[in-house]
Amino acid sequence: MRYIWPTVCLLIAAGLQGNLPGSVSLMGAKPDLVLVVLIGFALAADPVFGATLGFFAGLITGTAVGLSLGSFICTRTITGFLAGVVTTRLFSENPIVPMFSAAWLTLVNELLFLLANPRLSPAAAFRTIGGECIYNALLALIIYWFLKHMETRRKIRLVDARL
Amino acid sequence: MPAFVRNKTFVSLVALLVLGAALGTAQKQAMGSGKPFVASDVGRTVLIPVNLAFDRVFAAGDWLLRFARPRSLILRENASLRREVRRLTEENARLREAAEENVRLRKALRLREQIRLQMIPAEVVSRKGSGWFETAILDRGRRSGVVKGSAVVSFRGLVGQIEQADPYTSLVIGLGDENSAVGGTVQRSRVSGIVQGQGEDDLLLNYLPKDADVRKGDIVVSSGMGRVIPKGFPIGRVMRVLRNSIGGTTSALVRPSARLDQVEQVFIVPPGQGGVQL
Repeated sequence: MRYIWPTVCLLIAAGLQGNLPGSVSLMGAKPDLVLVVLIGFALAADPVFGATLGFFAGLITGTAVGLSLGSFICTRTITGFLAGVVTTRLFSENPIVPMFSAAWLTLVNELLFLLANPRLSPAAAFRTIGGECIYNALLALIIYWFLKHMETRRKIRLVDARL
Repeated sequence: MPAFVRNKTFVSLVALLVLGAALGTAQKQAMGSGKPFVASDVGRTVLIPVNLAFDRVFAAGDWLLRFARPRSLILRENASLRREVRRLTEENARLREAAEENVRLRKALRLREQIRLQMIPAEVVSRKGSGWFETAILDRGRRSGVVKGSAVVSFRGLVGQIEQADPYTSLVIGLGDENSAVGGTVQRSRVSGIVQGQGEDDLLLNYLPKDADVRKGDIVVSSGMGRVIPKGFPIGRVMRVLRNSIGGTTSALVRPSARLDQVEQVFIVPPGQGGVQL
């Protein structure tokens, strides 16, 4: 049951991502909304939840893009898992933690994707990766704050038991 | 049994990764064999209503913004549009002249007047799901006669090629994507090569002969080789010629005439048709 809301949010993020206007680009980069939602939810949960949600996020992105489905699933599964691990290792109530976590998790996600797709040119990707990290960090902070707020009010439940 | 195998978290992660790799392999095999991939079909069928809803929301937002602009901006735009109308009227007159001359010449040479192509009108409902690829989803699929390999064109020229066709939607790969490669001919000298995407703004016209007659400003059109993409659709304009004296090869950077991220309405041209004279 606790996967329903996050999955719905991922679907909405994918729909929004496909229609983002060009004017929202920052340093040539656009935010990866599906990744932001994944990181936001996974940072508020545990590694297994993060990995499973990452699997769905990869499935949705891979389906929307139509290429490299396996790479999207695997990289986002690992990213979701790492985000979940961060939660168990750090004091995540501090807003700096989710912000920086989103930035480095975006970087890790894109580097993993590049490793899984050696045919892609890294030069084109690295030009926009910085902007994407900043963008995702800011948006993840908003989502993380919103989720924490909802969780506190017991409107949603993300964690069954902390590891 | 090692401790990490008994760890539920670790086992879950590995299971998800294995499942992801299996799905990825299945998709690659389905794409290679040209068969539909059920998981993608289902996924895209779920995503399309969401994409369409946002498409309509953004269109409504655009419409609202058009009315909410300050008067000075509208006046400036009005002046610029008047200038544009004057320029287009002159250009139109010149083009009419050229078209009439063209008809006369065709008749004189007894060439067939125009090759009629079967074209399926389509609309872009979602694009660029990831920064890594230049893809988009169109609102026409197999039920409308779309097949893999069909050319996707706009009024400016060739935009891309259909990579997957689902029952109601299809996936198009833009010319700029690194997975894209189409046959191209330099219109002036008829030298042919392969136009490849680089994941950047410009395309690369590759595999040209060492002494290829290609210059900056030349127009590149589809070559029609392989009878998949019809001959004659504009691809772009040569921006720079790269001659490699050691390797004995020539290539050229081509600025595309139409980009997937700048089109909304397109036409899908199924393969196996002749050519066009645009």
